[in-house]
Amino acid sequence: MLFFRSEDAVRQWCSENGQPMRPVVGMEQLWSLAAAWYSNRLASDYRRPKPAEVVEMLKRLGFVEDFWDPTSESFS
Amino acid sequence: MDFETSVNRAIYQSFVHRGAAPTVDEVAARLEVDRGAVAEAYRSLASQRVLVLQDDGESIRMALPFSGIPTQHQVEVEGRHYFANCAWDALGIPAALHQTGVVTSRCEQSREPLRLEVGLDGPEPSPWLFHCLVPAAKWWDDVVFT
Repeated sequence: MLFFRSEDAVRQWCSENGQPMRPVVGMEQLWSLAAAWYSNRLASDYRRPKPAEVVEMLKRLGFVEDFWDPTSESFS
Repeated sequence: MDFETSVNRAIYQSFVHRGAAPTVDEVAARLEVDRGAVAEAYRSLASQRVLVLQDDGESIRMALPFSGIPTQHQVEVEGRHYFANCAWDALGIPAALHQTGVVTSRCEQSREPLRLEVGLDGPEPSPWLFHCLVPAAKWWDDVVFT
């Protein structure tokens, strides 16, 4: 899970490393993910979200591709 | 509060206040308990994916979003320095602390440095991008690689 300066940089890095290019995410959307995932991480009543909760959260934040579905079997 | 929760809290308090992972001995001293019990709690927390341990079985590699070892993703908050496990976690540290911060990292392709100010409501406008190679369904197959 890495930072890149541009989409061209992502494409070039994937090509040079023989890796598939995945959906790219802007900083604003990454923040929405980080905030949703971690804002209660240090709370005394924190508990790990259940898989269905993760699916719902990711979809709510706009991560709708199959790539972001932790229950997907498309990549097995 | 059960014992594992106490150990988990002590671990996270160490990361928050020192920016570093506590050793088993440090947590045992803080909780005034036997180190073997703390080591067992570390292993149990790792089995629940709360922690990721290093190969020695008792040094903390990850307590998300914090990294127990130096990485390219650094975060400064209120004069404290933290290492994050990945780009996601780099933004996750100010989010978890509910404080403003500065993320420094790099473009993985060009090695151009990134400096990103993060406010309470998110980062400053930036054209930088995040790319995740591993599908969500595979994140925990090898979480260090992810």
